[in-house]
Amino acid sequence: MSENTKQNYLNHPKGIMSWLLTLDHKRIGLMYLFSGILFFFLGGLLALVMRFELAAPGNDIISNEVYNNAYTLHGAIMIFLFIIPAIPGALGNILLPLMVGAKDVAFPRLNLASFYIYSFGALFAMYTIINGGVDTGWTFYTPYSTQSTSNVVPMTLGIFIIGFSSILTGLNFIATVHKMRIPGLTWYKLPLFVWALYGTSLVQITATPVLAITMVLLMLERFLGIGIFDPALGGDPVLYQHFFWFYSHPAVYIMILPAFGIISEIIPVHSRKKIWGYKFIAYSTLSIAFIGFLVWGHHMFTSGQSVFSQIVFSFITYFVGIPTGVKIFSWILTMYKGQVSFTPPMFYALAFLFLFTIGGLTGIFLGAVALDIHLHDTYFVVAHFHYVMQGGTIVAFLGGLHHWWPKSFGVMYNQTIANIAALGVFIGFNGTFFPQFLLGLRGMPRRYATYDEQFVELHSYSTFWSGILGISIFIAVMNLFWSFIKKNKVDPGSNPWGGMTLEWTHTSSPPHPHNFEEEPVLQHGPYDYDKVIVEKTYNK
Amino acid sequence: MEHHNPDSPSHLKHYFHDVNQQYETSKFAMWAFILTEVLTFAGLFVAYIVYRSWYPDMFVDAHKLLDVNKGLMNTIVLITSSLTMALAIWAIQKNNKKLSVLMLVATFIFALVFLGIKYLEYSHKFEVGQLPGEFYSYMGPDAVHLNNPHIFFSIYFIMTGLHGLHVAIGMGLIAWLIYSTQKGNLTSEYYTPMEMIGIFWHLVDLIWIYLFPLFYLIG
Amino acid sequence: MSEHHITPLRTYLIIAASLLFLSGVTVWVSYIDLGSFNIVLAMFVATVKASLVAFFFMHLLWDDKKNLTMFLMSLMFFGIFVTITMLDTEFRGDLGLNPETKDPINKRAAFYDTLPLTDTHGHPVDEHSDKHHEDKDHH
Repeated sequence: MSENTKQNYLNHPKGIMSWLLTLDHKRIGLMYLFSGILFFFLGGLLALVMRFELAAPGNDIISNEVYNNAYTLHGAIMIFLFIIPAIPGALGNILLPLMVGAKDVAFPRLNLASFYIYSFGALFAMYTIINGGVDTGWTFYTPYSTQSTSNVVPMTLGIFIIGFSSILTGLNFIATVHKMRIPGLTWYKLPLFVWALYGTSLVQITATPVLAITMVLLMLERFLGIGIFDPALGGDPVLYQHFFWFYSHPAVYIMILPAFGIISEIIPVHSRKKIWGYKFIAYSTLSIAFIGFLVWGHHMFTSGQSVFSQIVFSFITYFVGIPTGVKIFSWILTMYKGQVSFTPPMFYALAFLFLFTIGGLTGIFLGAVALDIHLHDTYFVVAHFHYVMQGGTIVAFLGGLHHWWPKSFGVMYNQTIANIAALGVFIGFNGTFFPQFLLGLRGMPRRYATYDEQFVELHSYSTFWSGILGISIFIAVMNLFWSFIKKNKVDPGSNPWGGMTLEWTHTSSPPHPHNFEEEPVLQHGPYDYDKVIVEKTYNK
Repeated sequence: MEHHNPDSPSHLKHYFHDVNQQYETSKFAMWAFILTEVLTFAGLFVAYIVYRSWYPDMFVDAHKLLDVNKGLMNTIVLITSSLTMALAIWAIQKNNKKLSVLMLVATFIFALVFLGIKYLEYSHKFEVGQLPGEFYSYMGPDAVHLNNPHIFFSIYFIMTGLHGLHVAIGMGLIAWLIYSTQKGNLTSEYYTPMEMIGIFWHLVDLIWIYLFPLFYLIG
Repeated sequence: MSEHHITPLRTYLIIAASLLFLSGVTVWVSYIDLGSFNIVLAMFVATVKASLVAFFFMHLLWDDKKNLTMFLMSLMFFGIFVTITMLDTEFRGDLGLNPETKDPINKRAAFYDTLPLTDTHGHPVDEHSDKHHEDKDHH
């Protein structure tokens, strides 16, 4: 058997059933990756439809009703079908057991179940689209969501089901991190991506049950008129917002923490320097996860909640900036005097630093009650969370894909095209969303299919660049898949970036079906570039 | 699936080092699952607390419409079932299969009794129209002055209903335990599933310990 | 698995007996009017009972402390949820600018106006033929 046809998880065992019933975390991760990217494109398509509708004032392409459906589905699909399940589900699943030196996650069957529950929930979402959509916005605020005649129930049911998949993945990862590490791999020797996934999983299992019960209450409100969220029946719609954001604010950290983890891996490897402030980054992950539970009310500054709680929420919101700042500074200090190489993953990491910092700082603006009352529900908010979610999470996700692509699939993509696409993503993203900050400051409200003449210039500018952004992301992803189709194989022993974590040093690319041919023995920490010299083994 | 060590017991999964690691992992994950259960109910407890403080008089008066005796009976039944569940685990630890099965059967029967009493309560509520939300229609002399009692009954039905659902799921799991213990799959060497389901069953008891006073005793 | 802790039978029986006893106590106390102290007492007894179940029946006393941490974490997050939500619900309308928002939800739902009066069995009572009943009940 030659080196290139060595047994790995992609070619052994064979057959469609071995994939559908697989218990291998890497294969499950791969299935998550494909379905996640599918939904990513679907959500992206909806975004482009909206952007082109907004290229000029008036209803040019779609009606107001269709527009309402488009932004609801764009939000719901991107959040519940792509970002939350797919990033921990794909990269986390493939890498977590490899990084802790385990043969698999703690509960492989639950892992597979989690994927199928996710698919089942996604079916409900797809049914919603075919059946005419849902027009409440992804937050399903009462009382409109209890009155709307669109498909609120199928969509909330879908989200309810996907919640279980999220819980199972979280449970599995927590048990894996706690109990499946190889001897000698202590907490402070874990790669920071593992810390990030651990923090994410804690948030997942703590917050998601509340989402589940909220969705149940919403459905009961529609079926039985239980009156808990309905002011006409003696209830309180603002309580719904408390319930919803008790999950959905921590969910923001479910979305961004894995991205932090990815960046903490990419930057030291591609700067060939030990990470600066390992413990600071690790603990800031946990403190972000915790503070995330205390600040949900900053989404509700105009809801009529008590002024006392506004003050408390606003005050605590500022604290999120501290651990986040710690991370940003640690990454920058890691690069300082490092041997930075401008590979595609590193381009994405640099783009992340720039975009996420803007996203984070504008978040501080919105945390101030007085300013938020002006900016609430304007394009400023839209721009802010896209800078965090897309500029942060999705850019980091793309970076992570480029970083671990040769490891996961044993193939190398065209790095020049990848770099050009990364540049396109960066410029296209800023071109799309920076004008939206200005639009928001001038009072352009979100969720409208049309607008006043004075906003034409900025809107058409934003639409133009959104096309560039869409094309760049498409090229970036297709460039990855093309390498897979073209079978541009790397040597199974190769370590293209010179990584020091177990998945680079102790297993082949793509990995063996049982991850490691023999149990790995830890020789050095994850980022000991000051002590050990690791050679890069791949040149274009 | 290959086993690295031919001597390892058949219940040891290949990706664990040893039986103890597998046992501790399952148990830890079970507690993480308990955390999710507690937080599921937490949402409902929050609804209860918020509405109780908004409608203090209504809650106190509406609770008098519930049957304390049935509630107390259910408390006794559920506590006893918790005891029999614990004893089933104790028996299997001592490798006493017969006693273990007996105790599991007892637990199952107590669970059935619990649901039976719950059924009697519910059907009475349906009869007189003390129902959640817009289906509420009871305007008896002891309720006519209440402000929005349907909210109390909404919360009552959702909380006890979700709890009842857990009892029913628990019964399914216990039935499976009876089957596998009887078949000899669970022994003093390997009884992890029984311990996990036991923890779940005690959680069901634990939640009822709070539901009982909150609804039946102090409204 | 012989190294697992086996709780003696006596412990289980004592705990179950205390649980039953405390259930009786909490019912008995609920018939005494202690004002707002009733709820405090009932919750105290419930917490004692819950701790007995958690520590002895669920073996938390002998388990790895990680499991206890998980359990306490769930209670902590529940506490956060309740406390912070009540910072709003208990102080709604605290600027006092609009008295309407002070008690946002105390309006009786409209459907009560259409409901007929019933007896304790939920059967509608005819207000004209059963005048004497109604007098007793409502005045």
